[in-house]
Amino acid sequence: MKPRAVTSDVLLGMVPIALLIGLWQAIDSFGYAPVSLLPPPGAVFLRLVRQLFTSEYQQEIAATLFRLFTGFAIAVILGVGIGLAAAVSPAVNAVVRPLVRVLAPLPKVALYPAMLLLLGFGHESKITLVAADALFPILLATYYGASMVEQKLIWSAMAAGTPHGQILFKVVLPAAAPSILTGCRIGLVISCIVVFLAEMITSTDGLGHVLVTAARTFQAVDMFVPLITISLLGLVLNGLLEGLRSYLLRGFPEV
Amino acid sequence: MMLLRAVVTRLAPLLACLGLLGIWQVAALILDTDSFPTALDAIRAIPAILGDKESLINILASLRRMAIGFGLAVMVSIPLGLMMGRSRGVAAFFNPLLMIIYPVPKAALMPIIMLWLGVGDVSKTLVIFLGVSLPVIYHSFEGGKAVEEKMLWSGAAMGLSAAQRMIRIVLPAALPEILTGCRTGLVLALITMVTSEMIARQSGAGNILFNALDMGQYDTVFAMIIIIGAMGIGLDAAFEKMRGRLVKWSEPRFDLPLSFS
Repeated sequence: MKPRAVTSDVLLGMVPIALLIGLWQAIDSFGYAPVSLLPPPGAVFLRLVRQLFTSEYQQEIAATLFRLFTGFAIAVILGVGIGLAAAVSPAVNAVVRPLVRVLAPLPKVALYPAMLLLLGFGHESKITLVAADALFPILLATYYGASMVEQKLIWSAMAAGTPHGQILFKVVLPAAAPSILTGCRIGLVISCIVVFLAEMITSTDGLGHVLVTAARTFQAVDMFVPLITISLLGLVLNGLLEGLRSYLLRGFPEV
Repeated sequence: MMLLRAVVTRLAPLLACLGLLGIWQVAALILDTDSFPTALDAIRAIPAILGDKESLINILASLRRMAIGFGLAVMVSIPLGLMMGRSRGVAAFFNPLLMIIYPVPKAALMPIIMLWLGVGDVSKTLVIFLGVSLPVIYHSFEGGKAVEEKMLWSGAAMGLSAAQRMIRIVLPAALPEILTGCRTGLVLALITMVTSEMIARQSGAGNILFNALDMGQYDTVFAMIIIIGAMGIGLDAAFEKMRGRLVKWSEPRFDLPLSFS
């Protein structure tokens, strides 16, 4: 793609966002909705910027990020580990496949009350929920990525004298990397969503809790602020993952 | 021997369910706390819930909202996704907006939407609609993008109009990918349904679940978890069966769903 085409695409993409904000402003300006229900965009963004510089709000973000990263990290480790094991070993596969078939379509949020009762109302239950929800996309992507690895690559590595135990890390894992990273990307978006929901249900801190508190006191402006924050966090984390991906896959052909 | 193996493969998901229930039973017996009933106790509480007229109406109302939200989302998202897949302009127009909306938890919009539309069916259905739309749009987009140009050229050479090409070539060619998106959307609809009811706390399956949690009726909590879980597994299995019929000609790329929330 030529650079000019990219710029025009970006400009085109800004149009609906600008339209949305314009519509939002117009609804307020022409008095179709009371400001107490739909605060004007300017007020919301001003509030967001102000909040971002207060230490209280930074602590809420830190609490959310801590849960998000811990849960996501557990999901990546378990997902990649189990996915690889299921792709390589028929015995593991026979156990994992039916379990995943049952557990993947299960709405994990419904398990949250059980986690609350078992793990308490602190970090643990929320981290477990995030990990449980992000696990399956990563596990499945790893499994499919690893089982699609060409047999010839493995034979060549063996012929070149790679020890048996190292083939998994030197051939299968790198070959499955693009698929694994796609799974991680989905898992990351899910982690953002789930950590927020968990904090909304029961929490004393975090962005979700900020939203619930604002909703209870009918502070419409403060309800929009955490939502925009989580959207921005998702964009930033997605960008970071994209950067990591292009670094890790720098030798790979463009898919 | 072959027959036995086939039977075991067939029953594997069922065995997995039984295994999980078994682990639960043993864990509950070992832990032995009031807040963690055994699997058997939870199963015994199910008939009481399903037999109660009010809870049954609640659960059916939940399912109706879910079906409406899911249906509307699919009807809007598939054409939009396919158009994005076929035209770079349309894709460039919508992509950044969708990227911004993606990490926002749709159920978290519930408090705001409730301010505008009240706690009734409309807000909950709208939230489910929003939750289902994104994966369906995304997969339709990917499916539409991957359609072979040559088929479209042949269609055009044979005199099909643009709209006819869309319906008779692009739609069937992208169908396997679209259905993958719908399957993700189905799981998501269920999740959004539970969460929205849990936040609105007025009616529905999510309301029963979290009210029971607040009142410390732990048997009911776990029984509801089994009911909602069974809904997810059942809907997924039914959809998979239908999908198998519709796209028999294409080998399923993923025979397991990618679940979202």
